[in-house]
Amino acid sequence: MRKKLLAASLAVSLGLGLVSQASAAEKMILYTSMKESLIGAIYEKFKVKHPDVTIDYQSAGAGKLMAKIATERQAGKVLADVLWTSEVPDFYNLKKEGMLETYVPAQFGEVINPFPDHDGSFTAARLGTLGIVYNTQLVKKAPAEWDDVLKPEFNGAYGIANPALSGTAYMSISLLVKQFGWEYIEKLAANKAKIGKGSGQVVDDTASGELAGCIGVDYITIDKIKKGAKLAYVFPKEILIAPSPVAIIKGTPNLSAAKKFVDFLLTKEAQEVIASEGTLSVRNDVKVAPELPIASAEEAVKRSIKVDYKSLEDEKQTTIKKFTDILQGKK
Amino acid sequence: MSPTSPTSSAIKKDSGFGAAQIILTLSIGILVVVVAVPVLLIFLNAFWDNNNDFNLAAVVKVLSEPDTYQALLNSIIIACGTTLGSTAVGTFFAWLVTRTDLPYKKFMKGMFLVPFMLPSFIGALAWKMLLSPRAGYINRFFMDTLGFDNPIFNIYSYAGIVMVEIMYLFPFVFIQVCGALEHMDPTLEESARISGAGLGTITRKITIPLVLPSILSGALLIMLYSMAHFGTVAVLGIENGIFNIPTLIYEKIHQSAGSFESIRTGTVLASVLVITAAFIIWMQNKILGKGRYQIIAGKSFRPMELKLRGLRIPLLIFCLAYIGFTIVLPTAVIFLVGALPTYGLPFTLENLSLENYKFILFDFKVTRDAIFNSVTLGLAAALITMFAGVMISYVIVKMKVRGKGILEFLGMLPFSVPGSVIALGVILAWSGKFGINLYNTVWIILVAYIARYMAFSLKANSAALEQVHDSLVEAARACGATMWQALRDIVLPLVRPGMLAAFFLIFLPSLRELTVSIMLYAPTTRTIGVAIYTLNEDGETVRSAAMAGVALILIIVGQTLINRFTAKHKR
Repeated sequence: MRKKLLAASLAVSLGLGLVSQASAAEKMILYTSMKESLIGAIYEKFKVKHPDVTIDYQSAGAGKLMAKIATERQAGKVLADVLWTSEVPDFYNLKKEGMLETYVPAQFGEVINPFPDHDGSFTAARLGTLGIVYNTQLVKKAPAEWDDVLKPEFNGAYGIANPALSGTAYMSISLLVKQFGWEYIEKLAANKAKIGKGSGQVVDDTASGELAGCIGVDYITIDKIKKGAKLAYVFPKEILIAPSPVAIIKGTPNLSAAKKFVDFLLTKEAQEVIASEGTLSVRNDVKVAPELPIASAEEAVKRSIKVDYKSLEDEKQTTIKKFTDILQGKK
Repeated sequence: MSPTSPTSSAIKKDSGFGAAQIILTLSIGILVVVVAVPVLLIFLNAFWDNNNDFNLAAVVKVLSEPDTYQALLNSIIIACGTTLGSTAVGTFFAWLVTRTDLPYKKFMKGMFLVPFMLPSFIGALAWKMLLSPRAGYINRFFMDTLGFDNPIFNIYSYAGIVMVEIMYLFPFVFIQVCGALEHMDPTLEESARISGAGLGTITRKITIPLVLPSILSGALLIMLYSMAHFGTVAVLGIENGIFNIPTLIYEKIHQSAGSFESIRTGTVLASVLVITAAFIIWMQNKILGKGRYQIIAGKSFRPMELKLRGLRIPLLIFCLAYIGFTIVLPTAVIFLVGALPTYGLPFTLENLSLENYKFILFDFKVTRDAIFNSVTLGLAAALITMFAGVMISYVIVKMKVRGKGILEFLGMLPFSVPGSVIALGVILAWSGKFGINLYNTVWIILVAYIARYMAFSLKANSAALEQVHDSLVEAARACGATMWQALRDIVLPLVRPGMLAAFFLIFLPSLRELTVSIMLYAPTTRTIGVAIYTLNEDGETVRSAAMAGVALILIIVGQTLINRFTAKHKR
């Protein structure tokens, strides 16, 4: 069975020419939900430092990647060596099922760690932030508080990505509920807030004017602002942070390559690439992108709404259902 | 196998019989593995529960859940609306280009067939850009420039979905009715006229009854297509809670994240789809069976043309406006949005560039993979299906062997199994349950494509084979050729045009395929359709549009080359 699958996958990769050309001493496969451009840039730097390691990376939505891992598990062999997404609950799940190798990265002492129960199963390699994105042509006065999106300018035109599709959207809803209670979601519903599709689409809909504002992921928004979209990005006092953990899959034959990659991810070099995309680095010695309305990662963590990440995983289904019902007026 | 080898020239009756059996078995085998097993598994999964008991109550329960019930209802509403609308539009334009003195008829006819080539989900994307309530360019024009208070049309609605589907599906009726009107014997109408009947009576008593079978069969094709259509509803409906059967199946598979929990709802819905489709196909065969001998009166005649007189120019303008509105405008919007740095900027010269096109063609691994995957998948599926199709058609049309009945029944299956059902079926069949796990690989998409496009190949090849008279093969056999020799030297050369037609009929549509591949893709096995769809879902609207533009160019260039090629071969 295992042989067959290996043969099949080999045939696929050969047939479709997806195997990297260079034959290096070490090889590893990375599944990540990071954008192609981000992971591509990090890999370029990684190659300089570790010319002997080849990384075959697959970039897709976290849901797709988990589905792939699930089928690979059924077939008896997980092809991924390293997983790096923004779905924290997935990592708690995998850890519970004993799927993750414990490894404390070499540079762990130098980075910000948002997980109080960190044991090396997974380590935050990036601190995603979520703020309010608004269309500067439709909204004249910048919102400063989470309550400001309850104003008439946002009536029927404030979007939140579908938490069933987007992990960061789920995270942002949980955090808002934790801080302001379900009443806040009900007030949003009263102001006819909308559930959008993915976390990218709500930002694009805001840029086009279909929405006046939305909860936006930092790097998606910054990217569009850099390209000239009529958008602005603000952080209210309470910041929403969604860490992106990286983990090594247990039993990988490429453990040493995997460790090299995880170590590299926490270095200043790799973190600078992350910061330049408009997301917070986990290192304090890396400068924050000028477009991001915050001074330092440390300050963002200080202002962030704290949450017990483990409970996120347990409450996922009920929170999503309650949120969807309230916004769709079903209750 | 070489023709000069001494043994092959001897008449060997028994080897011919053996070959027939081998071909028959092989044909049945292919259809069983590729189509019958997946469909059977869907039915098994839907109607039999975990204890292997027949459980109708559970099926009813699934169907009566509000979500499923609503999806069923939506599928029917959208399909009916689309069918009625497309039939009206298609029949009207067909009549206009065949029976009136409308100027530039030939050009018009060609233009009305263009929507055939355009994938409707790309159309849906374009219309989303044009008519989304607050940001759509048309709505904005009315609100910003003409001072309207409210958007004139909300594309995220049943009406919007139906409108878009009509625009891209009406050619099914148009082409059928055009054919019927062109081939209809005009003496029938003329004799009625000579006998003193007015235009109204002639239309009512002669023309409409003669054309009706074609209209109905086109309408049923549209119904079948729309019921099982994923793209338009996925782009315009999901966000506002409008699901139909295929989009709900997709959501269920998507949410189940590879664990097969909600697959049951999917299989029940798929069963409904298969049964409906079978019913529609059955109806269509009945109607066509009745109508065929009336319509095909031999050669094409030059029918009488109705003088439009004063309406000639207004109708011309109407047709041009329709073409401009449904073909030129959406295509232009796709290319223009694809040239913007980010969505929402105005179309000024300094904003437009080829940056996105360059990016998706050369720099972006996702889209480059997608193009490569679609082209190789299309080539492979077209080649395999072409050869399998010619073999199976040969058995059905030409051979007299026992057990052919089974094959005839199996041969009908591909026609009535919609794409989303095939996708679900191959997931059930090829995800390790029977020892082979192809899920999340490119091979599962290939298997699904073969199943999906087998119908095209069977149709084209049987049509070609029907024209090869049995006497040719018999003559060859009488002269001492073996079965294989007769096949190779007589039959194959004669059916080659049919095989070529099958190849292109499969290759081009597979380039823009979405319904099947969206359910089967893995991170590295995106197809062009999937890439466009996921980029749009990710909020990369401009890149999605650029990719759609590239796809349109690929499709149009491909189609033009094929038209050239086939025109040359006909001569």
